Amino acid sequence: MSTSRRRTLLKVIVLGDSGFTSVLGALVCLTLVRYVHKKFSQQYKATIGADFVTKEVLIEDRLVTLQIWDTAGQERFQSLGVAFYRGADCCVLVYDVNANRSFDTLNTWHDEFLNQASPSDPKTFPFILLGNKIDVDGGKSRVVSEKKAMEWCASKGNIPYFETSAKEDRNVDSAFLSVAKLALEHERDQDM
Amino acid sequence: MDVEYDVIVLGTGLKECILSGLLSVDRLKVLHMDRNDYYGGDSTSLNLNQLWKRFKGDETPPAHIGASRDYNVDMVPKFMMANGALVRVLIHTGVTKYLSFKAVDGSYVFNKGKIHKVPSTDMEALKSPLMGLFEKRRAGKFFLYVQDYKENDPSTHKGYDLTKMTTKELISKYGLDDNTIDFIGHAVALHKEDNYLAEPAVDTLYAESVARFQGGSPYIYPLYGLGELPQGFARLSAVYGGTYMLNKPECKVEFDDEGKVCGVTSEGETAKCKKVVCDPSYIPDKVRKVGKVYRAIAIMSHPIPNTADSHSVQIIIPQKQLGRKSDMQLHLQTILGRLVISLIITNECPLVHTRYVFCCSYSHNVASKGKFIAFVSAQAESENPEAELKPGIDLLGPVDELFIDTYDRFEPANNPSSDNCFISTSYDATTHFESTVMDVLSLYTKITEKMVDLSVDLSAASAAEDDF
Repeated sequence: MSTSRRRTLLKVIVLGDSGFTSVLGALVCLTLVRYVHKKFSQQYKATIGADFVTKEVLIEDRLVTLQIWDTAGQERFQSLGVAFYRGADCCVLVYDVNANRSFDTLNTWHDEFLNQASPSDPKTFPFILLGNKIDVDGGKSRVVSEKKAMEWCASKGNIPYFETSAKEDRNVDSAFLSVAKLALEHERDQDM
Repeated sequence: MDVEYDVIVLGTGLKECILSGLLSVDRLKVLHMDRNDYYGGDSTSLNLNQLWKRFKGDETPPAHIGASRDYNVDMVPKFMMANGALVRVLIHTGVTKYLSFKAVDGSYVFNKGKIHKVPSTDMEALKSPLMGLFEKRRAGKFFLYVQDYKENDPSTHKGYDLTKMTTKELISKYGLDDNTIDFIGHAVALHKEDNYLAEPAVDTLYAESVARFQGGSPYIYPLYGLGELPQGFARLSAVYGGTYMLNKPECKVEFDDEGKVCGVTSEGETAKCKKVVCDPSYIPDKVRKVGKVYRAIAIMSHPIPNTADSHSVQIIIPQKQLGRKSDMQLHLQTILGRLVISLIITNECPLVHTRYVFCCSYSHNVASKGKFIAFVSAQAESENPEAELKPGIDLLGPVDELFIDTYDRFEPANNPSSDNCFISTSYDATTHFESTVMDVLSLYTKITEKMVDLSVDLSAASAAEDDF
């Protein structure tokens, strides 16, 4: 009963501001789809018919299944229900390095997660931050610096930060490996 | 909003959310709005703050009950039959994967002044004091016959031709007495009223349900309460492109010169549509009142006495046990090759109804640790809710908090084919979802002129259960 019961299915939810267009939302999905299917398609428009994606990651001989949930567009009119947040093991926050607004709303999403999911340990609950779309326009349109993002992460209790480009597959693998490790460590702490 | 929607759905109750999900999966363009800032409408689950706000106004919940967010108090408490219509819809749509379920501990029936467990296995049936020794043997044989019966396998018919034989004749072959028929009808066949003659028999076999989950009852219930169900279907709808807007005041349905629906207005903006699906509260002038439900909601620090400390139970108090006169008989019908039991009353007493008691606890994540929530509900027969609910409340023992509530039930009074408004019927007082799903399926067929195929592989739900 002691060790055999250990759960290897982890629920990861992805939150980020889609702004007034759903471009970033689609990009988040692209990141995920890219991650899971190792195939990039410019034609991939939205998450129609795809509710969540799963990915298996091997960590220290342990097979961990990440079940990655996106908001399915329900965040657009502030209509995400509390059920979405239930039982989350890790929260991935995503913003667009080319859009200040998406960075500014990170605080809202961070608070909203803690409020809705109400984890028993809000201070140590695992978050990670992804700065997305770093490849746009060769980086010239970038408005949020890496330093600014790192400072934000430090102010929230040293949230790990990754910069990703769904298009070039930069850092996406390491980001999600990190998600799995964090969530697992957190779970072990909870068990003790 | 220049875009025209195929369907605008108003209200995020369970019925509306299932329809929204099914219609989006059909690739219809769906806009789903609710005047509240939460999901679930009348079928939502409230936390303590919301519960107090609704029933006690400005008072705040006492601290000793626990944290507000620990609570998910169902406004329409029901259990799901493990092989019932709702589980079939959940599997059909894949919404099972958004939810976690746990078996319900026990199902009880109030008989001759005492609470008795409804047998969920052959062994329990043999131990149950509900039936006399000889009666048990006869009932056991009768159940076995029903369970084994396959329409296309004459060897299971035991020489009885049910196409010619009446139910009464079959039952007389097994020699069951009135008490047993009452017990089977209310506790096993689960009909809400006794006048089923006019209704199609849609019940599910108790024995089949029990066999599927290793619980002490044929019921399951979602963790965090029933409010998770509409949200699961809403997510399905959103995943297939449905647009969600909560907290939209007014939601006024607009009609064209011919009286057909043409849009919905909220906050000065009108969204165009071909059809509207809604609960009765959104179009009050197209519905009529059909009855009233009384219910009591209790927060307690103990399980319901005499239920073997069960954390989740239902107790059915059949009307006969309250001293009412009725004359019942069992009715058998084959559906999809299986034999289905239902109950028919031959002596009309249209206003008498059964009381339902329902209890759930922190083990299903609906209350703070150590706390239990009990509900008593009944279709109103008089103007005195306290008196009508008393037989159920008396079974609860001491309570920490008690709320008594009344709500009116409505049904549509319009003709959807002339105005394109598809209005659901208010939730009834029963403890299960069979009538809820039947209403949804019939609305779906009216909207799309298609049927939902619910012949799904039920083992999918068992598999989902194993994940947790």
